[in-house]
Amino acid sequence: MTASSDLGTSWRATGIIRRMFPLLVVLSVIVLIAGIRLEQAGALLQRYGVIAVMVPTMVGTGGNLGAVLSSRLSTRFHLGLTVTDPSDRGLWSNVIAVSLLGMTIFAGLAGAGYILDGLTGGQVGGQSLLIITVLSGAVIIIAAISFSFLATYLAFRYRIDPDDVTIPVVTNLVDVLGMITFLTVAAFVLG
Amino acid sequence: MSVREEVWDIYRETLPVMLIALMGGLIAGVLLEEVVGLIERLPGLLVMIPVFLATRGNVYAALGARIASGLHQGLISPRFRRDPRLIQAVIASFVNAMAVAVVIAIISWVSLQVLGRPSASLLKLVSIMVLASGFAASVLIVGLLSIIFVGYRRGVDPDNLVGPVVTTLGDIFGMLFIVVAIGVVEWVGI
Repeated sequence: MTASSDLGTSWRATGIIRRMFPLLVVLSVIVLIAGIRLEQAGALLQRYGVIAVMVPTMVGTGGNLGAVLSSRLSTRFHLGLTVTDPSDRGLWSNVIAVSLLGMTIFAGLAGAGYILDGLTGGQVGGQSLLIITVLSGAVIIIAAISFSFLATYLAFRYRIDPDDVTIPVVTNLVDVLGMITFLTVAAFVLG
Repeated sequence: MSVREEVWDIYRETLPVMLIALMGGLIAGVLLEEVVGLIERLPGLLVMIPVFLATRGNVYAALGARIASGLHQGLISPRFRRDPRLIQAVIASFVNAMAVAVVIAIISWVSLQVLGRPSASLLKLVSIMVLASGFAASVLIVGLLSIIFVGYRRGVDPDNLVGPVVTTLGDIFGMLFIVVAIGVVEWVGI
């Protein structure tokens, strides 16, 4: 299938809105779970300010990794390259690069958290921060990669333009999972 | 190209924006810590925040990915022009962002009622979401397109830019404009 055959209609605002809006509403309902989890963690966040400061990066990095990977997979799809052949080296390069990027960023986040925690009196402590970051980071990286492939594959299978579907689905599922993982691990370690 | 070279290329090209995203996330985190301090005055506020930030991501990442694919395919040029494809894509993202903002406030309010948790009035939640979305739209659309266009003209693959740029701008300005919107709503006395 070639993506160029339906470009006339795929760039029209009404068409984009009609395809995207229902998806946005469904995704909002999914991410509402993350919101409810955050609201429940209000007391934890008020007590440990560093955990609150880490929330957007913890959640956002998973979304970023998913977005980078699925955006690349989606362009491969538009250019007519494979997205599901495991013997394709280009796919493995993408997966390895995204994993390394994730590890780098989570290491940086742990470092920044450690400094901030030190500045605010060391309530959480370096060891707890390291455990929380490594555990949450590993889950989030694996989730970002898995969801990127799954979503691109499903978009390909059902012939939906992956740009409209893949990235929102991936980032939102990883957001929810990242929020639940991070706050649950943090509550457990600091409990 | 070997796997090692390709991995290194992707890593090297993406790392700077990921590091900027890390800085942005930390700034947004500091703003979030401020908002956590307001939850007694505006109960239920925290429920909306992840949904609001995720929606900014959804709408503008889709816009960015569409522009990136358009650039790769040579359908649009990397400049602010009266290009019908560009205009249609921007209008669609704005309409989606504003409409879903109202939906977020409603589903958050309903879920708080269902769970029996304290909540600010529906009007207050809707006002905060609509104001924050409107402010965020102007900054995010102009900022995202500028960065993609400039990056593309300098030979950076837009695919590596879209996700981190959207998350960074979305997190910082999303949180910032929530704080601003709260200020406006409390000042007007809604």
